[in-house]
Amino acid sequence: MRQTIPRLPLLYTGLVPALLEARNLTKHYGSTVALDGVSFDVHDGVTGLLGPNGAGKSTAMKLFLGLIQPTSGSAMLLGEEPYRSTEGRARIGYMPENECLPKSMTASEFLMHMAQVSGIPPSQARTRAADILRHVGLDEERYRPIGEYSTGMKQRVKLAQAIVHDPVLVLLDEPTAGLDPDGRQEMLRLIHRTANTFGISVMLSTHLMGDIERTADSVIVLESGVLAQEGAVAKLTEETETLLIEVADRHEEFVTALAAKGVQATSDGQMLVIEQAREADYDLIRDAAVESGARIRRLSPERRTLTDIFRSRPA
Amino acid sequence: MRAREAEVFDLGYQRYTGPREGRNRARLALFENGVRTVLGIGRGGRAKILPVGLFLAVMTPAVVFVIILAFIGEAGADFIPGPADYYSIVSVILIIFGAIMAPELLCPDRRDNVLPLYLVRPLTSTDYLIARFLAFFAIVLVLVYAGQIVLQAGLILTASDQVEYIRDNWQDVPRILFMGVLIATFISVGPLAVAAFTTRRAYAAAFIIAAWLLLNSISDGLTVEASCTVVTTDASGDENVIEESAFETGDTFVPDEEIVSRECTRPAGDLAPYVGLLSLSGVTDNINSMVFEIEPSRDNAGPSSIAVAELHDAFPVGVYVLWTGIPALLLWHRYRRIRL
Repeated sequence: MRQTIPRLPLLYTGLVPALLEARNLTKHYGSTVALDGVSFDVHDGVTGLLGPNGAGKSTAMKLFLGLIQPTSGSAMLLGEEPYRSTEGRARIGYMPENECLPKSMTASEFLMHMAQVSGIPPSQARTRAADILRHVGLDEERYRPIGEYSTGMKQRVKLAQAIVHDPVLVLLDEPTAGLDPDGRQEMLRLIHRTANTFGISVMLSTHLMGDIERTADSVIVLESGVLAQEGAVAKLTEETETLLIEVADRHEEFVTALAAKGVQATSDGQMLVIEQAREADYDLIRDAAVESGARIRRLSPERRTLTDIFRSRPA
Repeated sequence: MRAREAEVFDLGYQRYTGPREGRNRARLALFENGVRTVLGIGRGGRAKILPVGLFLAVMTPAVVFVIILAFIGEAGADFIPGPADYYSIVSVILIIFGAIMAPELLCPDRRDNVLPLYLVRPLTSTDYLIARFLAFFAIVLVLVYAGQIVLQAGLILTASDQVEYIRDNWQDVPRILFMGVLIATFISVGPLAVAAFTTRRAYAAAFIIAAWLLLNSISDGLTVEASCTVVTTDASGDENVIEESAFETGDTFVPDEEIVSRECTRPAGDLAPYVGLLSLSGVTDNINSMVFEIEPSRDNAGPSSIAVAELHDAFPVGVYVLWTGIPALLLWHRYRRIRL
């Protein structure tokens, strides 16, 4: 049954702290700069942390988790400094990128143990472990040692241990890394379920735009340790919508009429392309068509994928 | 009786609304998991062979002594090792237990990279270490007490006057309890510190056993009474001088003669008492002699302990503090600086 989690309007009045808050966050490893003065907020829902390898995604996550400390600036977790406060850490989950599971334990015992380490008493931990393993589809195999699991199954145990204590927020570091196409689809489906059915906010890092498009509400793009872009995924793709127009005749007149109205169209002979079309542009296109007498055969918005956006961005 | 109506169960996701007990629950869970790990609970028969085998090995001397006492009665108490000797008798087994089982608690967590999962939970690395240490300490403590309890029970039950035995020997009880804590601390903290520096259990175990053998042999080899000059007088008052050569240091049987003096030389010479401090079995054996107020002699102690007995008590106490304090600091430092 779908549970509706109220989207807190307070969030936007600044009265409720963001789940995660980076302020001038900087981390140096010796002379290497992993993160350089990054500031952003993460609110509830699914947030994607996008960037190529070495962009500082894992570093940012570890800073929020208190596994490492910032060189300067701050990384706040639920309004607290994570490496000082153990309380905040009881309400978050973390799925590391690398292998992190004890090979000799069974999934069932491991999850029960991890729930308890998150502060849940043994009897409730047992129920939670069984429930979560069922939700990630590891019902049958839970009494086998984790060492015998396939990569996809291990990945699901990793996700399960991150949400077994029903956290407010879960941080997933490259959850689809190393999975085959089926495993990846399954993982993305689980992430979607975690956020939408379980009501647990998610921050996931990935270098795959597809992962973000499939799951995320908003995206934070890191490149070489600096913030390259951030915003809602829908808005990001909407703002850069491209209109494709095919006209039967009066090609040039139509382009001129559009230009007179301030709409830049490029023509490849057959098709007209209007980059970054906005809602208001549709009216102008209609007017231009009437004025120039051009007959429009086809008008189609092409919402671009994030991949296109980043491909067209100057490096 | 009416059949139960069909029911629909909601198997959807349930949010957790129960208690969250934070850091203390986390510590307890780690302690409990540590105990289960060492004892091999919940991980198949093979993992139980070592703990059960070593437990039996620690218990064996006590059980054997009690059986002997049962057969020959109270007279046996004079030559059967008592509570004062028991710890040094089983210390070899305890060292092996520590060397093999302590790395089991720390190495797999680092090799399998589980540590980050702990440290993002309501815990600190110090909490983790303390919980792991206490888990191992508790097991060793139970192990060392178990043998003593069996032995005590045997001694009391075979005594002709049990009330009198208890009245004469009640002081052994606090001694046994106190010494057990000291031994369990030493057996836990050292091997755990070694395990903190490798992800391979076998390397840690090999290193501990090798260090133990090496330091003991160096220490014993340099403090052993290599050659002795024994002067005796016979019935007529004539003095005889007997030379005992190296490694023949057992009692030279001299009938009807009284030993006037016995002077021995040791390879380490005057430094022998200090060299004796190197011995790893001596770390607890020397304290054991102090606690039970026994004089180390060739009947009940090795050359190192005999040599160390010449020193002020502060020396063996200091050595014990160093051998537990330094590993504890190393452990703490290592986990504070661990890179994740």
